[in-house]
Amino acid sequence: MDVDPRQYEHIAINDNDIHNIIMSYLVHNCFKETLESFIACTGMKQPSDYLEDMDKRKRIFQFALEGNALKSIELTEQLATNLLEKNKDLHFDLLSLHFVELVCSRKCAAALEFAQTKLTPFGKEQKYVEKLEDFMALLAFDEPEKSPMFHLLSLEYRQHVAENLNRAILAYANHPSYTAMERLIQQTTVVRQCLNQEHTKDGPPPFSLKDFLKS
Amino acid sequence: MGGEEDDEPASKRMKLSSKELRHLSNGSTIKEPVAGSSGDLMARPLQSEGGEEVVGSKGVIKKVEFVRIIAKALYSLGYIKSGARLEEESGIPLHSSVVNIFMRQILEGNWDESVVTLHNIGLTDERTIKSASFLILEQKFFELLDEENVMDALKTLRTEIAPLCINNSRVRELSSFIVSPSHCFSVRSCKQDTLRARSRTKLLEELQKLLPPTVMIPERRLEHLVEQALVLQRDSCMFHNSLDKEMSLYADHQCGRDQIPSQTLQILQAHTDEVWFLQFSHNGKYLASSSNDKSAIIWEVDANGVSFKRKLSGHQKPISSVSWSPDDHELLTCGVEEVVRRWDVPSGECLHVYEKAGLGMVSCGWSPDGKWIFSGVNDKSICMWELDGKELECWKGPRTLKISDLEITNDGKQIISICRERAILLLDREAKVERFIEEDQTITSFSLSRDNRFLLVNLLNQEIHLWNIEGDVKLVSKYRGHKRTRFIIRSCFGGLEQAFIASGSEDSLVYIWHRGRGELIEALPGHSGAVSCVSWNPANPHMLASASDDRTIRIWGLKNLSAKRKDTHSNGIHYCNGAT
Repeated sequence: MDVDPRQYEHIAINDNDIHNIIMSYLVHNCFKETLESFIACTGMKQPSDYLEDMDKRKRIFQFALEGNALKSIELTEQLATNLLEKNKDLHFDLLSLHFVELVCSRKCAAALEFAQTKLTPFGKEQKYVEKLEDFMALLAFDEPEKSPMFHLLSLEYRQHVAENLNRAILAYANHPSYTAMERLIQQTTVVRQCLNQEHTKDGPPPFSLKDFLKS
Repeated sequence: MGGEEDDEPASKRMKLSSKELRHLSNGSTIKEPVAGSSGDLMARPLQSEGGEEVVGSKGVIKKVEFVRIIAKALYSLGYIKSGARLEEESGIPLHSSVVNIFMRQILEGNWDESVVTLHNIGLTDERTIKSASFLILEQKFFELLDEENVMDALKTLRTEIAPLCINNSRVRELSSFIVSPSHCFSVRSCKQDTLRARSRTKLLEELQKLLPPTVMIPERRLEHLVEQALVLQRDSCMFHNSLDKEMSLYADHQCGRDQIPSQTLQILQAHTDEVWFLQFSHNGKYLASSSNDKSAIIWEVDANGVSFKRKLSGHQKPISSVSWSPDDHELLTCGVEEVVRRWDVPSGECLHVYEKAGLGMVSCGWSPDGKWIFSGVNDKSICMWELDGKELECWKGPRTLKISDLEITNDGKQIISICRERAILLLDREAKVERFIEEDQTITSFSLSRDNRFLLVNLLNQEIHLWNIEGDVKLVSKYRGHKRTRFIIRSCFGGLEQAFIASGSEDSLVYIWHRGRGELIEALPGHSGAVSCVSWNPANPHMLASASDDRTIRIWGLKNLSAKRKDTHSNGIHYCNGAT
């Protein structure tokens, strides 16, 4: 039994709220041109300091996604000075992306040297040890794509790291690191889950975005 | 090897006993006839079922195997020429030529060739071949790292080791070694000392363990077989009670009864009533006895025997048990439902009296560090005191009965006492965990082995049960033969490595069993009243003491020993030479 759609009619939505939600999404994902068009069409006020940094953030994100971690790191240092120092997990993840690049291009000697100079210092802390071993194990395989650690070479992994980096940069500049859209969907899902647990049979089913969009 | 001689006439194949082997003239091989008519030889079975030649009277030793392990033993002992001569003379090579090449390649470090040879040895199990290859290549890897040839080591790892697709976790570790060979960041890999390549001989040993024994004879196989035989002989020797009885290969080991104390050496008469309890000190230099006459006596043990040292008086009730402090300088005595007294052994002074108002003590014991006293109380609780009398802890009942022993394990953690008629409590006072030994019959007394792994339990129905108390309690053995109807009878462990069980009995005999076999070895006559307690000297496996209702204590020793003694004392000690 789902929520009666007629109940929706009783809730008034402010157009401004919706525009803000869309804008936050566009800003977070660096869709600069789209954002500019949107602002022009809706007559919303331009967010103050977002725009300039958006370009930079976009490039940082792209480089990380491609696997060009060193460039990404360089630009991050320029944009947000000690972000990586304070965020060692992220720093490690980015460095490991570069390592993976070297391994994939079969540059073993370079990969080895990079690992020895940049990555092993992290090994002094216990929490990095296992991750470090995972990456080092890639060296042992002629075809790392066929090794047990092949997931470290995947696009998903790079995406994951790039997104983390994006959020960290936003947080550094005191902007929200999650878009309003994300938060709304998460909120609905969690609330539905709670209701479901409490009422089991009678409560509304868990939130499914797909079904919701179809209805 | 049997196959080679198939076309020779039957009379030339023979089953040779070891005696006949010795009589072969030098230079001759088994192909020449040996003394004995061919008719004789034909009548005997010539080969084992498998068609191979055998040696020995039972036909279970295959000749080829026998000669090979002898050759291996010769080489291990360093007799290279003899080993080679044996291989030549017998025509039985220790290792096939392929294996010989393989071993040489390993020792010389020709890794790649050795892997090739490995495949030629004729092993059938793919997994074994891969594991062996892995070991060899790992050695190559480490030796390259040692030479600081990192790139070649990496190449070996990538192109030779990883493709084997076995032992991925080790491959992981090897990668870590490449990255930081000197400072390894994983605690796991640091535990092994493989940062430096191990010796090639060690590698060969590892390989030999991996490969089937027919391919490479295991190291020290002959020594292992001989040791096995010796240990079996020793274990089946029921009277084994002396360290200096060395085992010899020349004759089967068999101790005689003369190693067990079986003769009264001394009769100690100083108590004026039934003697209920006795115990040797941990160092075997003293014996303490307690009696219905309300006193305890400390006896001294030396080269001349056991002599009276002093009497401890002060209890108002008969003394049911005594307990030696871990350092043997002090003694606890427990009056029946009365108090516990702590005595200084050298001076005989009573250092402290432990009591509880309105209650009586029933047992006493020491913590292994000598700092605390434990005591069972007749309200079924167990108390723990500091030496000065301050009560530290009290475990309320039912932890003990009015008649119960009390033991503390050597780690100080477990307290053992009879908590119900048919159950013994093993209380871990730190972990607060309780374990129980449950019996079908009423338990009268128990005794703890020196290694704390076993508990000997005396039952009302005249059985003594041996329990293993490590982990889950398990009944191990039962001993029977002695008599018990009305009184508390005690038993104990004793002898070399506590391989024997001794017990008192109401028929006034002292009973001794072999602990492992459960068989009764001795029932010693002498006392004229029920024997209530026995104690075996922990420092002298040939000395046993028994306490009896006939008011005496008997010291038992080996036969033929007493002839050396001289009777100089007269304060209640009689020396005897076996006569009762």
